Parts: sequence; structure tokens; C-alpha cells
Amino acid sequence: MSEEQNHNVSRRQFLTYTLTGVGGFMAAGIILPMARFAIDPVLQAESAGDMKAVASVDDLTDQPQRFDFSYEQEDAWNTSEVTETAWIYQEGDEIVALSPTCTHLGCTVGWEANQDHPEEFFCPCHGGRFKKDGTNIEGTPPTEPLHKYEVEVQEGTVYVGKAESQV
Amino acid sequence: MHRGKGMKFVGDSRVPADRKPNIPKDYSEFPGKTEAFWPNFLLKEWLVGAVFLIGYLCLTVAHPAPLERVADPTDSGYIPLPDWYFLFLYQLLKYEFASSDFTVIGAVIIPGLAFGALLLAPWLDKGPERRASRRPIASGLMIFGIISTVYLTWESVDHHDWEAAAEQGEMLDEEEEEALEDVDTNAEGYEIYTDQGCISCHGDQLQGTGAAGPSLYDTQYDADMIQEIAVEGIGEMPADQFDGSDEELEVLAEFVSNGGNPGNGGGDSGSEEESEEESSGDNNEENAE
Amino acid sequence: MLQRVYEWVDERLDITPMWRDIADHEVPEHVNPAHHFSAFVYCFGGLTFFITVIQILSGMFLTMYYVPDIVNAYESVRYLQGDVAYGTIVRGMHHWGASLVIVMIFLHTLRVFFTGAYKRPRELNWVVGVLIFFVMLGLGFTGYLLPWDMKAYFATVVGLQIAESVPLVGTLSKTLLSGDPEIIGAQTLTRFFAIHVFFLPGALLGLLAAHFIMIRRQGISGPL
Repeated sequence: MSEEQNHNVSRRQFLTYTLTGVGGFMAAGIILPMARFAIDPVLQAESAGDMKAVASVDDLTDQPQRFDFSYEQEDAWNTSEVTETAWIYQEGDEIVALSPTCTHLGCTVGWEANQDHPEEFFCPCHGGRFKKDGTNIEGTPPTEPLHKYEVEVQEGTVYVGKAESQV
Repeated sequence: MHRGKGMKFVGDSRVPADRKPNIPKDYSEFPGKTEAFWPNFLLKEWLVGAVFLIGYLCLTVAHPAPLERVADPTDSGYIPLPDWYFLFLYQLLKYEFASSDFTVIGAVIIPGLAFGALLLAPWLDKGPERRASRRPIASGLMIFGIISTVYLTWESVDHHDWEAAAEQGEMLDEEEEEALEDVDTNAEGYEIYTDQGCISCHGDQLQGTGAAGPSLYDTQYDADMIQEIAVEGIGEMPADQFDGSDEELEVLAEFVSNGGNPGNGGGDSGSEEESEEESSGDNNEENAE
Repeated sequence: MLQRVYEWVDERLDITPMWRDIADHEVPEHVNPAHHFSAFVYCFGGLTFFITVIQILSGMFLTMYYVPDIVNAYESVRYLQGDVAYGTIVRGMHHWGASLVIVMIFLHTLRVFFTGAYKRPRELNWVVGVLIFFVMLGLGFTGYLLPWDMKAYFATVVGLQIAESVPLVGTLSKTLLSGDPEIIGAQTLTRFFAIHVFFLPGALLGLLAAHFIMIRRQGISGPL
């Protein structure tokens, strides 16, 4: 033992470090694959969201119209047919597609659904109202504008992607 | 205790060979009425436990665990409510100072401070005094915390429309499921139903969407009344929902009053004859898809 | 006979010291409801543990029928409650136990707080206790979704919305919990199942062990 006292690292310390190292290696070897496994949904490249054909450009007017469209939603191993709705209108060259989901509690809004509020989207649940461009009208329950779909036009057909928050 | 040389072991094990006596401690050396955990005190605890268990079992028998209809993510009208012990947080997020632009305050800062303080209580209240009355700040804050939690929970319960909530989640009984299944989505009436936007509140199978619109297939109104309601509204349903021709209105009313079938002379549910044969489970699967 | 079995085991494993340690640890008068009725407040901790045991047992048995898959989850719950003998009681115990355990742990926390029992030298045990409280809330939140009925689904939607509203890590933690950035569906259910049945109970057992070892080490706090 006497000669070892000259070393900066004692035998016991060395063994402790090695033990920690080997332990760390084992822990990492066990945990890393599992951690990567668990956080996979976060790291998965966001699917660009297929564009779904909704309507023909000829059908659009400057008034929002209701268009339903269905697509296959892939939820991991579970695929289901989902129907969604968009309110679409054309203003000049721009085509606007709004989601009918009320930003208050998720009810469904309709264009001019209430006679007292023309030229507005109206939510029958709690009387939320939105302007034509989706902006929520102050004093009504919703806290943000209606979500807007990505829009693309190809060969006279309107395709919509994901509905995204306008704020 | 015997140690070192001369110790005997059981075989080649490390268990000492000399047996220790298995006799209870003498409690006369302890102050007051201190008693042994086993069996004296544990018996008392188990008596309390037995009484508790009886009450608990009675509760489970008297109130079976609730189960609503199968989850339908597309049902946009359902008013959600978290489990009761999260209601205080849910309610907090409804207040203006803690919602929309200030959600951070309601969702992170206030609960974070409250639970952080709870976790770190021993270091926030370091004094040696244990009596609650002698450390008024700590006790006061705790009482404030309890009162606000109880108050928020109460407010949340009070604001919730329990009748609507019970209705919106109700499991469908067999007849209703049959009616549901019988909705003829190819009928002219269904097309009008869709075009006029009835569908957004009353559902694609006339089943209603909870808060937004009641179910229509067991409606007690006749076709004439339905025509009137579609135009003039009723209760929370606004007027002038319908803007089609009179013929369309007639077809629609007939369709709705027949439980989702093209009319053939009236009757409130066009499906009663067939309703016996099919099992009750079928329809739920259909909804789940 | 039992005595002989005990002696046979004791000779080989020397279990008497362990057994005497558990059996003989003294219970002071001030926590004994038989001597002071007001001491019933000291029962809340024990009752919390009692319900926890019931929860673990009933949960184990529920998984004999339950299927954590969005297509079958609801039907399996409906089946085990409606068609299996005593299904109402087993699911009822698990359902009501989930609420009762929160009530009891809340009362236990208040007792410890107002008797000042968390003070030196018992700080660590208080921290472990609060962590147990959090784990219990987590168990309640994840278990609520499993029947996959309307109430369960939408409560989870709201819960995840709250999680999402946390700045910086909100979206991340929501995705981690729900298994998909947007859909609350198949992966959410399996994740919640895993968390509810394996991760949190594992953590809970570890914390409970620490809680009890510390109590035995330090003894119950003295009378006020």
C-alpha cells in the first residue's frame, strides 16, 4: 500500500471511478434505446399533411361556402376515415379556407348562421362570432380567430392542408 | 452479543447458530400508554380499516362506476370536464387574469407557486414551533390554499350544467341505437338535412351533439311542428336556420319526424318493428370508427 | 405446526430480529385513537395506504379483461362491468378508490401540516410524501382516459390542452403524453395505459418504501 500513496489516484478511487464508468455505460446502454423509443413521436418528421381536394375553383364566390371533405387519418396503426369541413371563399386572387371549429370550446360555426348577425360566422353554442376573415369579434367568448387551412390550387381544384392558428 | 472467535453458524452460512428468544418487548419501560405495534395497535387500525371497507363496498354497490357512450372525437358539442380533483385548475383557467393571453399565469405560475411551496414547506417554515396557532403565516397560507381550492372546485361544479352533461354522454338504449342505425343517409331528406347545416348541431346521425343540439330521432314533435321550428327556432335554437323551398322544408320535416327515414305516413320512429333483433353492441362499434 | 415452520425458517434465516423489530415498534399514546378520540386524524395515512393496496389489487384484476386499444377498450370495460360476475364491484372499487385515495392523502397532508410534523428532522419524508401526492394525481389523470368513453376522452383533451399551454415545453410534453402532435387516439391510449399501469405505480412503490422506512427510522413525531 505504501507505494500507492504517492499516486494522485488511489487504488480505491480508481476502482470507484471505474465502477461508476461501467455502471454509467450499462445504464446508458439500457436507457438510451428506451428513451429514444419513448420520445419518437416528438422527433418524427412532421408529415407535411397531404393536401386534400375540396372543391372546384369555379364554385367559389366571394361569400363563404361550406365544403365537406373526407380523408384517411393515420393514427399509428389505426386508420380511420375522417370528415372535415371548410368554409371557403375567394377574395380577388386569394382563396381563404376557414375551419368551422369555434376557438372557444370547439363547437361548429356557420356563416350567417344567425339572422341577427349577417356577414359573420356564428357559433350556436355560446354565441361566439367571427368576421368574414375569421377574426373573432370582441365581447364574444372566443379568444382567437378561426383557424385557417393551407390552400393550394391545382388545375382548377382547391386543395386544403392543415388548419393552422392565425395568431 | 456474541462476536468474534467461538461463534457458531448454521452450516456454512452466515446465520448465527444461537437462536434469539422471540419474546415481546416490555412496555412498562415506555412512558404513558405506549403499546406495541403488533398486535395491539394494528388490531385497532384494522378495526378502523374494516369499518372503512364496509362503507367503501356499500358505495361501490350503491353507485356503480359511471360509463358514458364510447368516445367520439368528432362530437364537437361535448362540454368536457376533468376529474373532480382537477376542477380547481380547470376553473382557474376560466378567469380572465389566468386565461387566453395570461394562460401562463393560470397554468404554470399559480399552480407552480402553490405546489412548489407545498413541496418546500419544511424550508419555508423553518422555525421550531410546531403548533399551527403559533406559526400564523404558514397556517394562514395553508388555510388560504385550502379555501381557494375548495372555492374554485365549488365554482366549477356550480357553473357546470349537470343535466346537459348527463344527457350528452348518455349511453344509447337499444331503441335509440336502432333508430340511429336506421338513418337513411341516401334519402332526399338527409341531403337537405346536410345542406341546411342541421348536421352541424344535430349530428350526422340525428344523434345530437350535446351542448349544441339535442338528438332528433326521438323527437316528440310531428312534421308540422318541425317545419315551424326549423324556420322560427325554439329554445336556444335560433330562428331562420332553414332557407330552402317549402317543398324541401316538408321533405326535411318528414325525414326528421320519421327518425331519419323518408316519410311514409307519420309515426314517430320508423324502426320499431325491427328493433328487437340486433344486439346492442353493434352500433357502438360503428360510432367508434 | 405453524410454530414448527417458523422455527425451521428462523433457524436458517434468523428472521426473529426482523420480526421483533416490526412487531415491537412502539406506538405512543398520542396517536392512538383508543386513548384520545381526536387521534383519529393519525389514521389518514394508514387508510391512504389501505386504499392504495386495494387500488393495486383491483387494477391488477381489471387488466385481466381490459384491452388498451381504442377499438376494444370501451367494449372491454363495458363487458367487464356488465357481463363479468362482480365486475361492477371490482371496477367500482377502482373507480371510487381513485377518488377516495385523493381525499385521504389530502387529509393526511393537512394532518401532517397542521401538527408541524414536517419540521426538522422529517423534511425529507415530507418531500417524499408530496411527491407521492403528485404521483397519485398523475395516476388519476392517466387512469381517467382508459375506459375510452366520452367523459374520459374529452377530459383528457382538456387536460392535454392545459399541458400544451405551458410555455417552451408545453407542446413537447403534450406530444410525449399523447404520442402524436395532433391526434388524441390510439397512441395516446397505449401511452396512458403504460404510464398508469407501469411507470407511475413503479415510482409509487419506490416512494412508499422510502416513506415507510423513514417513518420507522425516525418514529412518529411527538405530541404537540
